[in-house]
Amino acid sequence: MSGESDIPFVEETGHEEPDETSGFREQPDFERLEASPTVDELFAPASDEPPFSRCVLTTSLHLSVAAESRTNRWTDWNGYTTPEILTTIDDEYRALRQAAALSDISPMVKYRISGRDAASYLDRLVADNVMRLSVDEVMPVVFCEDRGFVVGDGHLFRLGESEYRLVTEETHLAWLLDSALGFQVHVEDVGAALAALSLQGPHAAAVLNAAGFYDIETIRPYAARWFDLGGIPVYASRTGATGELGYELWVDPEDAPMLWARLFDKGAEFGLAATGYAVRELARIEAGIPRVGCDYLGAFAAVDLADASTPFELGLASLVDLESGHFTGRDALRRLKQREPRHLVVSMALDFPEPVQFCAVEREGAIDGTATSIGFSPALGLNLALARLRYRTGPVALSVEVDFREGLSVRRLKIPARLLTEAVIGSPMRHAVPAPLLAEF
Amino acid sequence: MRLADRSFDAIVIGGGHNGLVAACYLAKAGKRVVLIEASDHLGGALATGEISPDYMISTAAHLVEAMPRRIEKELKLARNGLRFAARNVPAIALSRNKRHLTLSTRRRDLAALGQWNAHDAAALVEFLARLKSHATALRPFLLGAPPLSGGPSSEAATAFRKLVWRARRLGQPSFEDLLHALPASIGDIVDETFEMPLLRAAFAFEALRGTAEGPYSPGTAFNLIYRRALQLETKGASLPRGGMGALIEALRRSAESFGVAIKTGAAVKRIIVESGVATGVETVTGDFLRAPMTLSSVDPRATMLDLVGPACLDAGLAARLAQTSRRGATAKLNLALEGLPSIAGLSPEEYGARLLVVPPLNEFDQAFAAFKRGELSDEFAMEVTIPSVVDAALAPAGHHVMSILIQHVPYDVAGGWAGQRDRLLNRVIETLSRYAPDIRARIIAGEMLLPSDIEAKFGLAGGEWHCGEMRPDQLLMFRPAPELAQYRTPLQGLYLCGAGNHPGGISGLAGQLAAKVALSEGRRA
Ligand SMILES: Cc1cc2nc3c(=O)[nH]c(=O)nc-3n(C[C@H](O)[C@H](O)[C@H](O)COP(=O)(O)OP(=O)(O)OC[C@H]3O[C@@H](n4cnc5c(N)ncnc54)[C@H](O)[C@@H]3O)c2cc1C
Repeated sequence: MSGESDIPFVEETGHEEPDETSGFREQPDFERLEASPTVDELFAPASDEPPFSRCVLTTSLHLSVAAESRTNRWTDWNGYTTPEILTTIDDEYRALRQAAALSDISPMVKYRISGRDAASYLDRLVADNVMRLSVDEVMPVVFCEDRGFVVGDGHLFRLGESEYRLVTEETHLAWLLDSALGFQVHVEDVGAALAALSLQGPHAAAVLNAAGFYDIETIRPYAARWFDLGGIPVYASRTGATGELGYELWVDPEDAPMLWARLFDKGAEFGLAATGYAVRELARIEAGIPRVGCDYLGAFAAVDLADASTPFELGLASLVDLESGHFTGRDALRRLKQREPRHLVVSMALDFPEPVQFCAVEREGAIDGTATSIGFSPALGLNLALARLRYRTGPVALSVEVDFREGLSVRRLKIPARLLTEAVIGSPMRHAVPAPLLAEF
Repeated sequence: MRLADRSFDAIVIGGGHNGLVAACYLAKAGKRVVLIEASDHLGGALATGEISPDYMISTAAHLVEAMPRRIEKELKLARNGLRFAARNVPAIALSRNKRHLTLSTRRRDLAALGQWNAHDAAALVEFLARLKSHATALRPFLLGAPPLSGGPSSEAATAFRKLVWRARRLGQPSFEDLLHALPASIGDIVDETFEMPLLRAAFAFEALRGTAEGPYSPGTAFNLIYRRALQLETKGASLPRGGMGALIEALRRSAESFGVAIKTGAAVKRIIVESGVATGVETVTGDFLRAPMTLSSVDPRATMLDLVGPACLDAGLAARLAQTSRRGATAKLNLALEGLPSIAGLSPEEYGARLLVVPPLNEFDQAFAAFKRGELSDEFAMEVTIPSVVDAALAPAGHHVMSILIQHVPYDVAGGWAGQRDRLLNRVIETLSRYAPDIRARIIAGEMLLPSDIEAKFGLAGGEWHCGEMRPDQLLMFRPAPELAQYRTPLQGLYLCGAGNHPGGISGLAGQLAAKVALSEGRRA
């Protein structure tokens, strides 16, 4: 459950010095203590590192990734040390949008869900109809608690008849186990037992093809397949939240560095570059995908329910199927659907040629919402943001106030913002089947 | 004609008193009702059984304390044969030095107490008055569905504001006292109220009887207030003539007179749910019955998790239901006696009372500690009735039956029950012998029901009495869970009508209130 790492765990075995000052303390009767089984158990040497004992984790690809770093800029992702920027954000961004970008996404939270009732369990867990998911297919999912507030979202992979993988941004084990009552299902956190790489960009299929993923181009979006890479089994899915053609590769942590090296070996000629978390965030903002913990709070993380969101408020209505089987929150969502949402999480663009920071979003001069993710899109020359706005009907004239600094002087500007109704970046290639290999364009 | 071929407006699952009451009210309102009971007799934990031939006793519960007179009247229970051998049965705390205490404010009893301890006589008057005023403030809560809580509803807040207002109207000291009493332990309350150990222990037992709590467990003072509030609608504790089974028999006749079809020996296997609507039941024998409404008096946890199944419920609700606690803590001993055991200091008419055998509070607390550890305590608090004193037909002439509730008996005992049933029996008889030395010699036959026996015999999970412990966090709008507290369930057409719902106890109120809700929705639909 906790991260596996190659640093051996050293057990603290310092013997306590007898305390002189407390000579009156009764000495335990060790012989009797030893005889009693419960005491034996208490003092049994712990065979494993206790779960959650470690706060700083590294993935199996850490050394491979670190070798690519020119900046030594790291950040935290679910407790794992993750590169923020490896070279420069511009270079990494260019690789993503014009060539191919490889990143280590092992810190994603991954659950293996298996057992006789896995399908019906998941169907009750998530808001969409899981029954239509075939083996080697993937679907985006959102899951709610009883009141219809979103607990989290993620992607659901069907690996076999009764084996699934749920990949999420945050940990949800307690909720997944609570939901398992009455189902014959096994839920297991496989976060540390599975490495994951994300390969995104117009040349992604070409890189994989060159690396030995034959017929990779025939995988449809949201489908997946096993590949054998000279003895390394790799599960490749055509997924990734970047608005590009892209794949995610799921592999045993021990094999991950080898896969990484092989991709660089074969991918260099296609302009493959390693990228960090900053580009991942930027691509997500360009694609208009809210992230839990950032653009919205999970229902169990929100202290005030005003901070929790329904799927409708997140623009995830398409992931909710109120008609097929029961799922947690369905009754509540049926009622909520009749009502106006309280707020909406939206994408906005600011026509301003320099990157800026801001927080409040104003409507007709009054604060009406909060910008939760901000990024400057080099491709569009625009500031983009995800923001949570109070729900209003009628015309919207949005603006933000920014403090724009030039040298040592600062100007306070009011910049109009516009709502984006569809993603500003979305390569048509991402839907193409077969996916384009380099020769074809 | 087979039941499955007939058509019904309502199905009631479980033929305990609540199921019967619900069925009566539905049928009285013109519905065609079928009641299905798993066991081959009705009544659930309300039953009269034979200890040995000709010695009859209330097998489990032995007193009616909370059944409102209104229900008795509306269901014509008297006309259907219900008679009471005694009403307003007083409680007498037995004393080891033969100065027994009647827990009442009748002048004669008070005078006796006053001679012994003037402070406590005054304190008793004041204590009972306070108890009554708190109970009165709480009363309106108990006569209707509990307020809706959670979500945007302000019902619960309004209801509690009204409670505060009612309590305030009763005077400022009383209001503060209520606020103080709500989270307090009964032990702390009686310690600060009374001087005499016997009075302290007696009222502590009144609050704890049937619960899995100890005298110093927080929230136990509220138990006493709640129990008192339930009694406001009744004439105190009553002994039905013929034992608790007689109440069920009257309910059965009443139900049949209203046209309820009753089927015993047919356990429901599952409640049929079709796209979020409960449409009927399937029995273990494979019969299907369909009706637009189904009311279950079976434990709400079992109803929702076993008969409906978690797949049809939201995960949060299912998990919370699974966590509701059911710790049985009381055993029952029924004895057939040759002659009346003589309790020194007890006047002849007092043998018909509810006799409380209580150790001093510190020993009582130790009994609870032993219970928590899963051990047999040395001392037990007990409630003893000898119903044959007022209801001679229960035993052959000159002979008697005795019914004993033994508090703080664990469900599982360290070392297993096999060898310890007799140890428990011996300790109980030994304790009783301190008051009635001749009791051992008079025993002709007996039966002991441990919590596990109560579970097996009456289907009460964990041997816990109330299908969900009656403690503050599982009462009112939390009984059995906020979403289910108003007898409705997330499944259209399914209602909960048993003791696991508000207000609990042998009151029939859950059955009556659930029927009312079901009928009002039926009209709306
Ligand atoms: C020893 C003892 C002493 C008690 N003393 C008191 C007391 O002093 N005061 C008090 O308030 N309460 C007391 N109680 C608790 C009280 O008896 C119960 O709360 C009450 O009887 C519950 O009534 P009910 O009708 O709601 O449920 P029950 O009487 O439990 O009825 C439920 C019925 O449903 C049936 N059933 C279960 N499953 C199915 C199925 N699948 N299909 C069909 N039928 C099914 C059962 O057989 C049962 O008959 C005592 C209980 C015991 C055991």
